[in-house]
Amino acid sequence: MNAPGAAEDFRAKGVPHRRVEAWKYTDLKSAVDVEQVASATAAQWTLESEGAEPIDFHDGGFAGAMGEASMAFAEAGFGLRVAKAGKVRVNFATPGQARVRLVVEPGAVLEYIETAEGDGFQNIGLDVSIGEGAAFTHVRIAREGRGVRIEDVNATVAARGTYRLQAAHFGSELSRLELKIALNGESAAAHLSGVSVLDARHADITTHIVHAHGDTESTQLFKHVAAGRARAVYQGRITVAEGADGSDSRQTAKALLLDERAEADLKPELEIFADDVKCAHGAAVDDLDADSLFYLRARGIPDDEARGLLIRAFLGEAFDGASDETRALLWAPVEEAL
Amino acid sequence: MAKMLEIRNLHAAVDGKEILKGLSLTVNAGEVHAIMGPNGSGKSTLSYVLAGRAGYEITSGAIVYNGEDLNALPPEARAAKGVFLAMQYPVEIPGVTTLTFLKTALNAQRRARGEKELDAMSVLKLVRTKASALRVSEEMLKRALNVGFSGGEKKRLEILQMSLFEPSLAVLDETDSGLDIDALRLVAEGVNALRSPDRAMLVITHYQRLLDYIVPDKIHVLSAGRIVKEGGKELALELEAKGYEQIVKDAA
Ligand SMILES: Nc1ncnc2c1ncn2[C@@H]1O[C@H](COP(=O)(O)OP(=O)(O)O)[C@@H](O)[C@H]1O
Ligand SMILES: [Mg+2]
Repeated sequence: MNAPGAAEDFRAKGVPHRRVEAWKYTDLKSAVDVEQVASATAAQWTLESEGAEPIDFHDGGFAGAMGEASMAFAEAGFGLRVAKAGKVRVNFATPGQARVRLVVEPGAVLEYIETAEGDGFQNIGLDVSIGEGAAFTHVRIAREGRGVRIEDVNATVAARGTYRLQAAHFGSELSRLELKIALNGESAAAHLSGVSVLDARHADITTHIVHAHGDTESTQLFKHVAAGRARAVYQGRITVAEGADGSDSRQTAKALLLDERAEADLKPELEIFADDVKCAHGAAVDDLDADSLFYLRARGIPDDEARGLLIRAFLGEAFDGASDETRALLWAPVEEAL
Repeated sequence: MAKMLEIRNLHAAVDGKEILKGLSLTVNAGEVHAIMGPNGSGKSTLSYVLAGRAGYEITSGAIVYNGEDLNALPPEARAAKGVFLAMQYPVEIPGVTTLTFLKTALNAQRRARGEKELDAMSVLKLVRTKASALRVSEEMLKRALNVGFSGGEKKRLEILQMSLFEPSLAVLDETDSGLDIDALRLVAEGVNALRSPDRAMLVITHYQRLLDYIVPDKIHVLSAGRIVKEGGKELALELEAKGYEQIVKDAA
């Protein structure tokens, strides 16, 4: 879709709000209106990249309404193509909109390390195309903020390619990471994991994985800890297309509520049009386990320390698959937040 | 002998329901006492009250440990002062490795007592010296606490903790349940190794069997929240022969 088309379509539908099913738990309209979105300034960023060459950022697609808005209105952005091995670090520190386009050529490897911070309205649209046998790792740290912070990711994965997400989110007034990942070839895979550590903030992770081809695999593991009036949202939609036999999808979302006023909305959703598929999903919202807490305290570990140990153990599982370096990167802000 | 634990006319409630209804007993330093009783008589409740579990409310009476009112202390303070409870159902804690847990607990107790904390290497050495006798493998120590452990492994780990923390009052809640005879012997040896003149033990069990291996100085029979009969080690055999129902009836 081109920018004028996207603008027309976005204006016709308006800013998404809670009566739109996909935005039920993130009432964006309460925070921004169409004009604010349309006239938002260009976001600024700092970028370090190795092994990548610039390309046009205007092409690409989007996952949801705000991705469409970034197509329509973002005047700034960058595009990068990686032919062999690349590493990109980007920090979005200002309000505004931007588009990013990444092309990971067949057999190439790209690690994309992204941080988002600051207050105000920030909307980033990211389009990633992952070639045959290519590996893309998306490391994302979204620091605690006070504004509206959205990222919309549209990814396509060719045969034997992999999209790996490892995220740590600390929430904002309203924040959302929306991903649509199409697994388009045999043995294409998406492995998504992350934590949200929220104190009186909101964080929404909305994923849509499309198993468009047979013998594709997706796994998801999201852990949320919510204190104060925090609200943690996970919506995970999985579509297995007709004929995509042999697809395997697993998703788990868990939330730990540390306060009676904290809330978690975890919603897995399956749409299966193929016969021979494996789909497992689970969602659980809990308090800290009283038996565990007592056990630790009875062995001499003070209440605070015991709670900390249980919370860290709960969150830590989300990074079991990460490299030591990535885990350290993601864990540092988690420690700060706890 | 010095009184180590004195429970005076203890009444305790869980969720507003009275479970312990006037329980009294005294254990001196150096002694091992057994508490026997049918299911539901309040044995685990007593153990939780001693360890200070939230929700187990003392409505009247007192627990005096080394001259101090235990009721005023949170569980971690009791542990630091040498109270240890081997639980009937040890809790599985995913994400916390057994060794990390042991180090954290040991150092928390030491810190609370004003002792120097031990570094990871010293803890590992200490744990190793205790672990082999209880057949707790290195591999178990690396696994998440109690996760995927068999019933016997969990109980052996409880006893390992006891030997590591060297408590002065150890309460063992049905440490024998679910153990085969070899595991039972192993656990009993671990317990006997810790018998000492300045340590007291309260061994809670449903079956007489354990007391063949851990010979108590005194046996208390608990029924419906009260001690209904007391005696020496021979009482276990009488219980085994007559059954709880008869003993409770005789005592009434
Ligand atoms: N958390 C609880 N809430 C309410 N009742 C309880 C609870 N735990 C135990 N009880 C009741 O207290 C009584 C004693 O239980 P327990 O101490 O576990 O006995 P024992 O260990 O001797 O089998 C039983 O009637 C049991 O149903
Ligand atoms: Mg019991």
